[in-house]
Amino acid sequence: MTRGGIPFVAPMLALSIAGFLVPLVVLGAFSFSDPAGGFGMANYAKLFADPLALRVLFDTLALGFKVVVTTTLIGLPIILLFWHAGPRERSLIVFLTLLPMLVSNVVRTFAWIVILGRQGPVSQTLAQLGFIPAPRSLLFNETAVVVVLSQIELPLLLLPVMAVLSRTDRSLVSAAETLGAGPWRILATVILPLAAPGILAGWVLVFASATTSYVTQSVIGGARHIYLPQYIYREVGVLFQWPSAAAIAFVLLATTGIIMAAMATLSRHPRLAAHG
Amino acid sequence: MLNRKISRRSVMAGLGGLVAAPMLGVSRARAAGSVVVAAFPGSWEDAYRAAVAPVVKAAGTELVLAPALAQDQLAKLLASQGKPAFDAMMVSPGQTTEAIARGLIEKVDPSKLKNWSKLLPAAQTEWGPNVTVEITGFAYNPNLVPKPKTYRELFDNPVYHGKVGWVGFGSNTATLAWVEIAKAFGGSEDNLAPAFKILAEHLNKGAVIANSGNQQMALYQQNEIAVFISSVGNVANLKARGVPCEFAHPTTGSPALPVALHLVKGAANPEGVYQYMDAAISADVQRKLAQPPSEILPTNTDVPLTDSLKSFISDADIKNLIYPNWAKINPNRAAWSAEFDRVVKK
Repeated sequence: MTRGGIPFVAPMLALSIAGFLVPLVVLGAFSFSDPAGGFGMANYAKLFADPLALRVLFDTLALGFKVVVTTTLIGLPIILLFWHAGPRERSLIVFLTLLPMLVSNVVRTFAWIVILGRQGPVSQTLAQLGFIPAPRSLLFNETAVVVVLSQIELPLLLLPVMAVLSRTDRSLVSAAETLGAGPWRILATVILPLAAPGILAGWVLVFASATTSYVTQSVIGGARHIYLPQYIYREVGVLFQWPSAAAIAFVLLATTGIIMAAMATLSRHPRLAAHG
Repeated sequence: MLNRKISRRSVMAGLGGLVAAPMLGVSRARAAGSVVVAAFPGSWEDAYRAAVAPVVKAAGTELVLAPALAQDQLAKLLASQGKPAFDAMMVSPGQTTEAIARGLIEKVDPSKLKNWSKLLPAAQTEWGPNVTVEITGFAYNPNLVPKPKTYRELFDNPVYHGKVGWVGFGSNTATLAWVEIAKAFGGSEDNLAPAFKILAEHLNKGAVIANSGNQQMALYQQNEIAVFISSVGNVANLKARGVPCEFAHPTTGSPALPVALHLVKGAANPEGVYQYMDAAISADVQRKLAQPPSEILPTNTDVPLTDSLKSFISDADIKNLIYPNWAKINPNRAAWSAEFDRVVKK
């Protein structure tokens, strides 16, 4: 950045420091305090000694991974369609990808209650086809949470990949074909490596969003599937254990941060970055 | 026409002002003509916006309703002590006791409320007026299940298995129900072990565990559940919307849950709070609130019960109301909440 541009980012920088960094430091300091006024690791020790908390942490990270895998599987055909599409079709695909984002997450989540409910189209169809004896609710299980989060987070995976592929020279595929590569080999050795930086960026976004999505986790998962955001809410809103909630929030931040940093590092690997 | 050259310094000054304004307390200017009050989200918030806000406005103050559940109100006040996010809170005795213990609310001056003398004596508390008494029991769908009579029946009778929705201790209504369930299975107000035991056994029989009362209402409307623990008001609200829903009183008595308005300590506009409280306990407003769809039981003695409310609550039901001992319940609530999560977590 040139020196002349610095004043223009200064307000953003000031906002980030005042609105994010300072509260984060306060939260961090808070997580080391105890109700008696002492200072130490007691909140973290309590957290890691509680089997329920550890299960909640593990389940939250597992949920993030499952959503990343599912969005990737759903997104891959769309990515290939985008790659092979012409300019007008590409615009249409981008528009259709953005369309669900115009509707609030809360509304989309509640729409899924209708879709996955006892009287919803999925349950009714399965019952009429004889796969289940009678219509039943498909809500309140982890599969439902993964499916709903995958639908909600899918644009976060697709958009970075589309941005990367839009700048990619398609003649690389022609060159591979000329050299005798088949469709699967082209997919594995040309298209996917080209899209890799976008896919990794998408994974980072999807993972971060899925693990922190309080509304979808609580509405679709019900009270029996507890993830860290609900756990933090309970500590703050029901138990008023703020230092403990701060410690949990920091553990969530640290674990997702480590995973995201690993993905970001991977995306900057020379073999992947060279394709970008 | 703007033809003055905009300098980098002037842009920075403007942006700096924008950033600094909230920190300098410019936002507190709202205090002069408005009062911010917390209200239960959903039917309460709608009813108060329609019936109370116009009366407060006529008195010269704009009423801003901040929707929040009782426990959330407490959490928000604890998070902003000295600079509360709202001027008045709307809670039940469970939270009132906590709010008093933590120094979050002030005693009110009844001489500033001209409708005070019209309130039922039980609704006149030194910490603020009770605007209703919520009566809790069973909300059920008569098309899907028979009328429940006891808490025990919901666990023992297979016809209810997989059709009852439950929530944890974040909800006052649910907390009272778990106390009653514990009593039904041999426990007491300070011993909920029997309730957790029967809940654990019941989980394999398809018990639906929701995160909140509002979520239960959504599930009920989708026929995901056919019974849930509810206040009369919620049942009236569902009925008014054409949803098949009836209210049943437990034969052991219906737990009663007064709803009180409190003046928050450090409120930006205490006079506005008094205008709000006075409006909420006035006969005109309570008469409106007693009508469908809100059907809130009045505490103003000049307001008679509507025919619709009488269909929910008879004199015998009123005599059979249970007023729980919150002093016993509150100290255990955090531990019960944690235990509930342990029991229900898959």
